[in-house]
Amino acid sequence: MKQRPRIRTGLVLAAALLAAAVGGADARSKVRVVASITDLKALTEVIGGDLVDVDALARGTQNAHDVEIRPSLMLKLRHADLVVRNGLGLDFWLDQLLAGAHNAQIMPGAPGYVDASRGIDVIPTSGPIDRSRGDVHPEGDPHYTLDPANARVITANVVEGLKRVAPQHAAAFDQRRADFLARLDAAVTRWQKTLEPFRGAKVITYHETFNYFLRRFGLVLGGAVEDRPGIPPSPGHLSALIRTIREAQIRVIMAEPFADRRAVDLVARDSGVRALTLPSSVGGAKGVDTYLDLFEHNVGALAAALGGRRG
Amino acid sequence: MRRWIVLSLLFGSVASPASAQEAESLRRELGELRRQLDTMKDTYQKAIDTLTERLKRIESAPQPATAAPTLAAPTPPLALQAPQAPAQTPSTPLDLARPRQPFSLYERRGPGSLLFDIGIVSDLVANLTQDNVDKADAGTFFGRENRAFPREVEINLYGRIDPYAQGTVRFEFAEEFEDGARATEAHLAEAYFSLLSLPYGFKLSLGQQPVRFGLLSHLHREALPQTDTPNVLLRFLGEEQLRETGGELSWVPPLPFYLEALAGVFTGDNETAFGRGSLKAPLVNGRLRTFFELGDLGAIQLGVSRATGETAARLRQTLAGYDVKYKLTPEAWRHPLLTLGSEGLWSRRRVEELEDVDGDGEVEGFRHTRDRFGWYAYGEVQPWKRWAGGVRYDSTQLLELPGREWAIQPYVTFMLSDFLRFRLGYKHTERDRREPFTANDATARTVDELFFQATFFLGAHAPHPF
Repeated sequence: MKQRPRIRTGLVLAAALLAAAVGGADARSKVRVVASITDLKALTEVIGGDLVDVDALARGTQNAHDVEIRPSLMLKLRHADLVVRNGLGLDFWLDQLLAGAHNAQIMPGAPGYVDASRGIDVIPTSGPIDRSRGDVHPEGDPHYTLDPANARVITANVVEGLKRVAPQHAAAFDQRRADFLARLDAAVTRWQKTLEPFRGAKVITYHETFNYFLRRFGLVLGGAVEDRPGIPPSPGHLSALIRTIREAQIRVIMAEPFADRRAVDLVARDSGVRALTLPSSVGGAKGVDTYLDLFEHNVGALAAALGGRRG
Repeated sequence: MRRWIVLSLLFGSVASPASAQEAESLRRELGELRRQLDTMKDTYQKAIDTLTERLKRIESAPQPATAAPTLAAPTPPLALQAPQAPAQTPSTPLDLARPRQPFSLYERRGPGSLLFDIGIVSDLVANLTQDNVDKADAGTFFGRENRAFPREVEINLYGRIDPYAQGTVRFEFAEEFEDGARATEAHLAEAYFSLLSLPYGFKLSLGQQPVRFGLLSHLHREALPQTDTPNVLLRFLGEEQLRETGGELSWVPPLPFYLEALAGVFTGDNETAFGRGSLKAPLVNGRLRTFFELGDLGAIQLGVSRATGETAARLRQTLAGYDVKYKLTPEAWRHPLLTLGSEGLWSRRRVEELEDVDGDGEVEGFRHTRDRFGWYAYGEVQPWKRWAGGVRYDSTQLLELPGREWAIQPYVTFMLSDFLRFRLGYKHTERDRREPFTANDATARTVDELFFQATFFLGAHAPHPF
């Protein structure tokens, strides 16, 4: 007999939670989108405008390879109508988050799942793929959002997904995308003009994050501070890199916000190059709040550094 | 000289018809090649037309964009041709109860790839301790004192089974000590599948699986924050922890904060805590877990668990526990600077002892309830990506026998990469009684142990949860 109040309380609690589960779905007016990285969040926001509510799992200052499996991220996915992933192995952790999110709507293959990498001209991983070469990506370089030209394919994929979950707004999504691409085209022409004088110049990066950016603007990767992807640099590697920089008269190191500053500063000091901390994602630096901001910032900073005096 | 000129003229008059013949032959050959070229051009043009037609069909199909982009290109029409899904309507319970749309299989896989992941983990442990501890088999690694041994070599196979479920199979090889003998045993550690597309946000896992009770008991041993299993988990749940066959239903309600509720029904094979091993008196497990971000840097996870079942003697055993874990990760760091964790377990166990209850000289079965408690707490700092160090404190009663023990363990971890890790630890244990730790004419109330652990990962390795 003593058990009854406890059972009743439990049933009431369960009923309330179930009501919240069923009723909560209908109370939403905006499409809730979760993007794995901030670049995809920014692009989805441009297309969706006030019709969408977008959140990102990785922070802009964070290395998107190293996102921790946190329940708070599962909660974001639990509430989502659409998930937009980077793919190509960058956000491999998303699979585990999806499995813990308890949201069938956004599982791979479901209407609310978008892999933004579909259709991207991927820079392939050269040479043998094994871990003696570090944490290489078997599916190719996943940092494709750093080529602004890829925004055309990414946004096409995002629009496709948005239309699946909110077809009533299809025309608005198309219009916003067209407007954005027009602005982007003009901006890219301007950025290419800014960096045109430095076409063929070699730069150093920390992780090999900026390959798409370099390809787009005609710059050349002269080496990376990381020994191999994901492997902290050894003293021998840093010495060799310093020699390379001196011999090739390289002017700039492009370091991501999550780069090991001690290694970057050491190379910069001993080789006389300028070390730039450049955001590799939207939100990676103060004032870099949109996808266009990301390139305005990086192109401007890089042009100033390449145009300045060495050392 | 004149003779040579005459000879040359004669030779020239003879050679000229031959050259004319050769030229004619070459003209014929050229004509033939031209005809062949025209034929090839026709063939190639037809092939190009066919491919163009196929490309048009593919592009007009309801798929996302596939063409490589150029900025100068006009907006691909694909986005405009996206299939029109049915209008979004409010979900009714009936809608949600219907079977889900089939999902496509794992789409990133290319030709020649396996449709599931394979990962191997090798966890090697060495320990050094006093001779009396070795003789009494009373160290942390029971029966394997002063040895280096493969504690756990796992072969993990996991991936999507079909559009609705994912599966995990894990084989384990380990050196074990049983009945006074050591042997490397191989056994099936896990084989279960999870249904991911149930309505209302439910998930169902069926098969042989780790029972999610508390913070660490369901983790693989290589994923533990220290070399050994905390004492309270070892004493209450045994070395194998809770690996049971049955089903677990979990649910994450759509609340503004994270809350996971789960309930499981299992056979109850664990010999240390339960052992009845029958679905007629199953092990029933329940757990609530919540999680909060504390500002931009900190995060905390809180959980409570309860498990109840029957022992081999068909008597009730109930376990309850709390767990808490906190992490502080500075902005843009790739690893936490500070991790704190703690877990406590209560045990309420019905036992039957033989006793002369009424003093008549006859020993009778006497049933009573035995309450036990144990806990641990640890803190770890990781100032650099490769180096971490911490300390764990344990305090626990023994599950069946009287007595308690406490221990302290400082340790340091070096991670050469994400796939190779070394750990060195020292553990000092004090016990308040000799009896439970006496064997082979030796006893071990005070134990000092040095641990060395080397762990490597081959192939796929899923990231560890918070």
